[in-house]
Amino acid sequence: MSDPQRLQLLRSINEAADAEVLRSLRDHVNDRMASKRSELPIDQFYTELNEAYDAMIRRAISLAEAHMARVGMGSPPVPYAYLLFGSGGRGEQTLSSDQDSGLVYEDEPNAEKAEANRHYFAQLAEQVVLILERLGFPRCEGNVVSDNPSWGMSLSGWNKQLDGWFEHPAWESVRYLLIVADGRSVYGEATLMERIRDHFFANMVKHPAIVGRMLENTMRHKVLVGIFGQLLKERYGEDTGSIDMKYGAYIPMVNAIRLLSIQQGHRSASTLERIKALQEAGVLSEVDAQSYSQAFRLFLQLRLMTTEKLEHGMYANNGKLAVRSLTREMIEQLKKGLRIGKRLQRRVNKQASVRLK
Amino acid sequence: MVKKLMLSVVALLMLFPAMAFAADEGPSASMLNMGLNSLWIIVAFVLVFLMQGGFILLETGSTRMKNAGHVAGKTIFTIGLCALVYWAFGYGIFNGGADISDGVKKFIGWGDFFFSPDVTAADGESYPVTTFFLFQLAFATISLSIAWGGFAERAKLSVYLVFTVLFTIFIYPVVAHWIWGGGWLAEDGAQDFAGSTVVHLTGALAAMAATILLKPRIGKFNKDGSANEILGHNQVFSALSVLLLWVGWFGFNAGSALSVGDGFFGFVAFNTMLAAGAGTVAALLISWAVIGKADISTTLNGALAGLVAITASCAFVDPWAAVVIGLIAGVLVFFSAKMFEKLRIDDPIFALSVHGAAGVWGTLANGLFATEELAATAGVGQGGVFDTGSWHQFWVQLESVVVCGAFVLVASFIILGIMKLVMGLRVTEEQEIVGLDLSEHGTYGYPEQMKKAQNNNLQA
Repeated sequence: MSDPQRLQLLRSINEAADAEVLRSLRDHVNDRMASKRSELPIDQFYTELNEAYDAMIRRAISLAEAHMARVGMGSPPVPYAYLLFGSGGRGEQTLSSDQDSGLVYEDEPNAEKAEANRHYFAQLAEQVVLILERLGFPRCEGNVVSDNPSWGMSLSGWNKQLDGWFEHPAWESVRYLLIVADGRSVYGEATLMERIRDHFFANMVKHPAIVGRMLENTMRHKVLVGIFGQLLKERYGEDTGSIDMKYGAYIPMVNAIRLLSIQQGHRSASTLERIKALQEAGVLSEVDAQSYSQAFRLFLQLRLMTTEKLEHGMYANNGKLAVRSLTREMIEQLKKGLRIGKRLQRRVNKQASVRLK
Repeated sequence: MVKKLMLSVVALLMLFPAMAFAADEGPSASMLNMGLNSLWIIVAFVLVFLMQGGFILLETGSTRMKNAGHVAGKTIFTIGLCALVYWAFGYGIFNGGADISDGVKKFIGWGDFFFSPDVTAADGESYPVTTFFLFQLAFATISLSIAWGGFAERAKLSVYLVFTVLFTIFIYPVVAHWIWGGGWLAEDGAQDFAGSTVVHLTGALAAMAATILLKPRIGKFNKDGSANEILGHNQVFSALSVLLLWVGWFGFNAGSALSVGDGFFGFVAFNTMLAAGAGTVAALLISWAVIGKADISTTLNGALAGLVAITASCAFVDPWAAVVIGLIAGVLVFFSAKMFEKLRIDDPIFALSVHGAAGVWGTLANGLFATEELAATAGVGQGGVFDTGSWHQFWVQLESVVVCGAFVLVASFIILGIMKLVMGLRVTEEQEIVGLDLSEHGTYGYPEQMKKAQNNNLQA
């Protein structure tokens, strides 16, 4: 935190008067970070970027709260927490991540008041999502966004929803469970998210078979390296010759590590922290943990090199990296990383299947 | 199928009433032999002719819905036209019986135009010439239908008409004469049992000339040279087409024995089956290994490539070699398709790879795998490198591929080039976009779906 510019930026974000100011700060952050892409060690890059985005999301929420008060809806009636899922939950947002979010608030025994609370938080979430869209964070395509009633509800509502997903692990439900596993409270009463997690892990114990379903769900994205060690690139269309860094490298690794981590009951959502915790728990050897972390850092780095573009004011990115823009050395590194990713995937596959028997 | 068989038996009985009525004497052994041969040739002809059903499904399935009616219908139309032209001229160029100088005979046949065959087989003939004509005609139509692959989705209907006539007179019968009609390559001992070169390579190279002159379909390639995938509209059609072609190929190859005799045609069918299986498996595995996905259209192409490759060699090689030939064909077809795409040659139904690359390979394979014994049985050429240690046959094979390939390519370029100057080959951009069903025929092959799509577009 010694960088004075960085502190200054965070201060400006915290003091932004409205969405417009915040938007110009977002653009500033993106320019600044883009130029620091090659200077900073990759861990630090992600820490700084996510710190700035977190601050921005927090500021957006307090602006939304202020707006609610201004239009006569008052202040939050009960404690609540604003949640981030997906890359935001893992602290792995890139310069063009979308909004995967949720909201949880304390229960209210009185039915009438409970209804009023529901109404308040629905309005608040709508406001937050709107402001974040104005900052150039597009909505998640799968509609995992806090203004969706399935992702913004009271604590008991969340618990009931989790029970339902665990009891009827249809494909979609399992996907949702995996999304929740990456959840993190970014604003408000953080213990609420911890209580959701408690409930999640209690259910994991009750439904051990769920691991198999989770495995099926996460192994669907294949690491894009062929049996000859060759890169499996896009063969047609605009991105011919590119490799899908997001779904062919990054996501498979996130998925595999998440599954190991969930089985351990480990609570951190960041992939690198998960790897570390798995090593400490003796699930991964030191050598393995190191090679996985190294491969994952490489993927994080290469993800930053995928082409970004502004689409209708939103920061967007298709996750594809033109292989011809890489040096020969980097291609070799990437191939090595992908082979490690594939090995990890195979290992998780075996391990989870063994546990089921 | 059964019905057609019955019909042909009835037809034969009508051709040879003696068989039915000369009960008091009983047919002679040679007549029985002739009758069986002709029955088999007719069955084989029907099988090969039914392969057109395969081509209809293959070409339609691999192209888009808006062209479906056109693509399918034009096959029937061109077969009809081809039959008349082959009868009038093509057969004469291939195998005409006129008394011409040996020098000319090396290059083309002459005579028997507007062919008027003997009604029955003469004494000592092993089959009536009518059956032979039909069988040969079926081959000509197959070669023509292969060529259409290069025209798909953008050539004018009139181009199909004119090229059918010119191909059936000036291209196909000439190559067929060189190798099968006693021409100069036959004299050299070129082995092409059922036509890897004569039928498949010829069709493929005409397709290549066409697709180069026509230029790629709109939207196939991007400015930076990358390709877009224009998916066919019905993979089930494509798969069924392969099955139909596969079945038909037993007529194509085994029928080319032209006799029942000691049952050698069974061995030919046996080799055909093995190579097709090997091609299928190899293609699936290679696509899986290289692109990470088991690609259906590559698998289908692999089956066909195995069949195309074994077409030249089915009578000349041992079963193990048939498997090897099929395996290599399956791998070859995958890389060949990639190569043509790199070269920015649009090959909508993979005619260049399936019939061209595999046709070349199959013909050359004789030079490697043919055995002395089987070459002697067939009475053409000698054994290949592995059996005899001599490269002689390989060079003969290479010569026949190069010479026939060059001739077909040059002749096709000239004919299509002139057509391009005189009448134009390609429909307008607008017609191509609305689809040839509408532009060339005025109605859609899939009226309901296409109208629905149109309405959706209007709303969007």
